Amino acid sequence: MQTSISTSAQRNGLAAFLKRNGSLIAIVLIMIALPFVVALLDGRPFSDVLANETGNAKFVQGLMIEIFILAIYAISYDLILGITGLLSFGHAMFFAVGAYGTGIMLKNLEWGILPTLGGIFVLGVLQALLFAVVLPRVKGITFALVTLGLASVFQIVVQSNEVGEYTGADVGLQGVIPPDFLNTSTERFHLYLIGLALTVVIYLVYRRFVDSPTGRVCVAIRENEDRALMLGYNTFYFKLAALIVSSITAALAGTLHTLHQPIVSPNVASLSYTVLALLIILIGGMGTLSGAMIGAAVFRLLEYFLDKQFSENASFILGLIYVLLVMFVPYGIVGTWQVKRLQIQQGRARLYEALGLRKKPN
Amino acid sequence: MAEEIILQTRNLRREFGALVAVADVSIQVQANTLHSIIGPNGAGKTTFFNLLSGNLKPTSGQVLFKGRDITNLPLHRTAHLGIGRSFQITNIFPNLTVLENVRLSCQALGKDNFRLFSSHRRFRQYEERAREVIDQVGLTKEALLLARTLPHGGQRKLELGMLLAPDPEVLLLDEPTAGMAAEQVPELLELIQQVQELGNKTVMLVEHNMNVVMSVSDFITVMHQGQVLAEGAPSEIAANEVVQSAYLGELYGELEAMAGNE
Repeated sequence: MQTSISTSAQRNGLAAFLKRNGSLIAIVLIMIALPFVVALLDGRPFSDVLANETGNAKFVQGLMIEIFILAIYAISYDLILGITGLLSFGHAMFFAVGAYGTGIMLKNLEWGILPTLGGIFVLGVLQALLFAVVLPRVKGITFALVTLGLASVFQIVVQSNEVGEYTGADVGLQGVIPPDFLNTSTERFHLYLIGLALTVVIYLVYRRFVDSPTGRVCVAIRENEDRALMLGYNTFYFKLAALIVSSITAALAGTLHTLHQPIVSPNVASLSYTVLALLIILIGGMGTLSGAMIGAAVFRLLEYFLDKQFSENASFILGLIYVLLVMFVPYGIVGTWQVKRLQIQQGRARLYEALGLRKKPN
Repeated sequence: MAEEIILQTRNLRREFGALVAVADVSIQVQANTLHSIIGPNGAGKTTFFNLLSGNLKPTSGQVLFKGRDITNLPLHRTAHLGIGRSFQITNIFPNLTVLENVRLSCQALGKDNFRLFSSHRRFRQYEERAREVIDQVGLTKEALLLARTLPHGGQRKLELGMLLAPDPEVLLLDEPTAGMAAEQVPELLELIQQVQELGNKTVMLVEHNMNVVMSVSDFITVMHQGQVLAEGAPSEIAANEVVQSAYLGELYGELEAMAGNE
């Protein structure tokens, strides 16, 4: 689990990293190979993928990019909810600021991609500071409602006709032309690889953050904030740190969304988009980080296949699956797996002991 | 023993609506002593403790630490001054390991809290100190268990460990033995006494168990209905009739009645 401390001596270097992250590396390799495998199954040459030919391979890449976006978005929510224990109902705003900001900077301001990324970074910090204004004053469910209010105001603003020139009001933001090498219609394999790399890097950075002295205090705040205060931690700054990291990440997911989708709908600023993040981390396992990744994949693939099979009944069946998941997999996929693994380890230790096969004293 | 006053209160008062939980209490705590606060249920001991540690703000009055007014200090600053406190109700991080609970307590006063992207394992001094304290309180075998899986007595020890880890000058212990099995109580109190004597620390103790208080304390303050009823060395308190009638009145009355009947 996240909480355990390794007692063995620290191994460093690339070899050790590869050894410890075997499954992650395997997944990355599979993901890189995926478009080629799909092309192969389709009976098309590999060069199709590189030449950006229309077909199943391109479609699968598009679906995967959507999963990357959702995964980055969900992991950013997991950091504040699952790790730090801050219940925010305004997380969609973090994403939407990134999505709209990117669109406006690229289209209206005609900035290049690097200044745009810089702008998104600044916006990410600013919106976290906005949330931080109310952070020390309200707690728990009140914080959730205040953040919901902030996000609702943002949604009303982007939908209003006064700023329609920039945001496209009710229709949504359209006509953003991404730089050539990030263009999802002409260079999808590029965007696919960049999305994959970004997802993996963010996951690793988050894992490191949770493992850092700051991240450990965030976990302590989730567990028992008063105690953390009594120990001498000014918990406000730790929650702020988590909010800033989370906000920048969610805004980056928004950037990727704008690059990939032809239209940014005001729906991405709505409460339902926050609930989406919540749902994904519930499916995957709250506070596990990798759960957000797996949850995003499960969610998007389920949605896709159910849509294909049942069309208008899909959301009913999807809802049913969520209810069943929450009932029978209460800690999410990764969370439940971790609990089971721990139980199996303990059971095995007891078995060894009973048989007199002492493995090693612990 | 140095005649230094490390902690004192001046007319400390706390009201909850019409109820005056602590009524203008002024006490002085000598450095390097074990100072106990006793009193019947509802005497305001825990409220008084919460005022001392900053968990509650007083209605009026002052708390002074080494002559400095700490009454309105934010809660998280208290620990940095060298005042640690434990709680009557176990107050730990339930889903973290015992080691991590204590390690976090060590890290709190260090300077590495905002190293966002380096592993906490790089800062070995906290973990080493944590292991030392865990050995001291006798939880060595349980170090890697989740805190919530410990039995109650173990959690009380952990609570004490988290308190000792940053090596505070003043320890405020609110019923450290609450709910512990009777046979474990002397062990824990011995540990507290040992810590106080060896480490030159000041310990304030709220305790119900009279025998315990009498044997370990250097000085006792008796509270009753929010006020200080009596103060003095254990022998003086034991001999004080007012204390006997207030604190043990009912019990003594019953015993005498029983003795009379026989």
